[in-house]
Amino acid sequence: MSGGRESGGERGEYRLTGNRRKWIVLAVLTLAAAGLLSPWASDLPDGLERVAGDLGFIDRETAVHSFSPMPDYEVPGIRGEAARTGLAGLIGSGVLGAVLWCALRALAKKER
Amino acid sequence: MHIPDGYLSMEVCAATTAAGAAAAVCALRRTRSELARPRVPAAALTGAFIFAAQMLNFPIAGGTSGHFLGSALAAILFGPWAAAAIMTAVLIIQAVLFHDGGITALGANILCTAVIGSFVGHGSYRAALRLMKGRLRAAASFAAAWVSIVAAACGVALLLALSGAAPLPAVLGAMVGWHALIGIGEGLITTAAVLCLTERGVSRAIREDALRGGAPA
Repeated sequence: MSGGRESGGERGEYRLTGNRRKWIVLAVLTLAAAGLLSPWASDLPDGLERVAGDLGFIDRETAVHSFSPMPDYEVPGIRGEAARTGLAGLIGSGVLGAVLWCALRALAKKER
Repeated sequence: MHIPDGYLSMEVCAATTAAGAAAAVCALRRTRSELARPRVPAAALTGAFIFAAQMLNFPIAGGTSGHFLGSALAAILFGPWAAAAIMTAVLIIQAVLFHDGGITALGANILCTAVIGSFVGHGSYRAALRLMKGRLRAAASFAAAWVSIVAAACGVALLLALSGAAPLPAVLGAMVGWHALIGIGEGLITTAAVLCLTERGVSRAIREDALRGGAPA
């Protein structure tokens, strides 16, 4: 593990880019992926589901709770599957960005 | 690779919930000392990106799909502890808001993807760089991402075997096989993101030189 504060850079050689434009591009990509591309994602079983099907333990799945507001990445009560999924993606990314921003800001309180 | 409720036995759920909670607390503590405040917006944005990218399942082979994991990317950019914290947040939001990944399996998912994925990703990235003397960062990122997702898959396989869902050799072979393929996508996305989002820290070296020797006369 790297020593302390420069854990993201390699021996001080590489570090996060300070180029704002690149981070803005990442934000745009995030919104595009969550809002526009997510409805067209593959519906095929993922690696774990495939293995569960092949090895016969997929029936073990149970629903312990049913209080998720947006199960299967769809906002209920909206017409059109693409809109349901895209909106769920945008909400999820927004919530996550906000939660992480607040939590990490509170954690990383001390100025360096 | 989100374990749903029911796949794991009660004992495994209890043990992984305790261990996952401990790991999450530890990750938050270490993040406090290792994540500098100016990096917070980038870390939050990276977390949002990982969530969005995880929604995009891509077909691989034989009627199976896979999706980006992101542990290695977060670990390369922000260090393993901050990455574990970011990935834990992603998993909690997915389980609570979207019913993706079980609540009783949340600890197991944290251990496999947030902890194993981040630390293996970070460790193999640094090992690969050392091996290649700092050259070929693209190859190091690709390898780290691939090893990271395969290691996380091994963790899931081990927990499934411990739960009596399937015998270990069968489930380990199947999980590693599929995730070795998914790992190619993981490697490509991680490599592109790492190359775009990092740069040589020339300015800091210059600043340090100036501090050391360049005091005004």
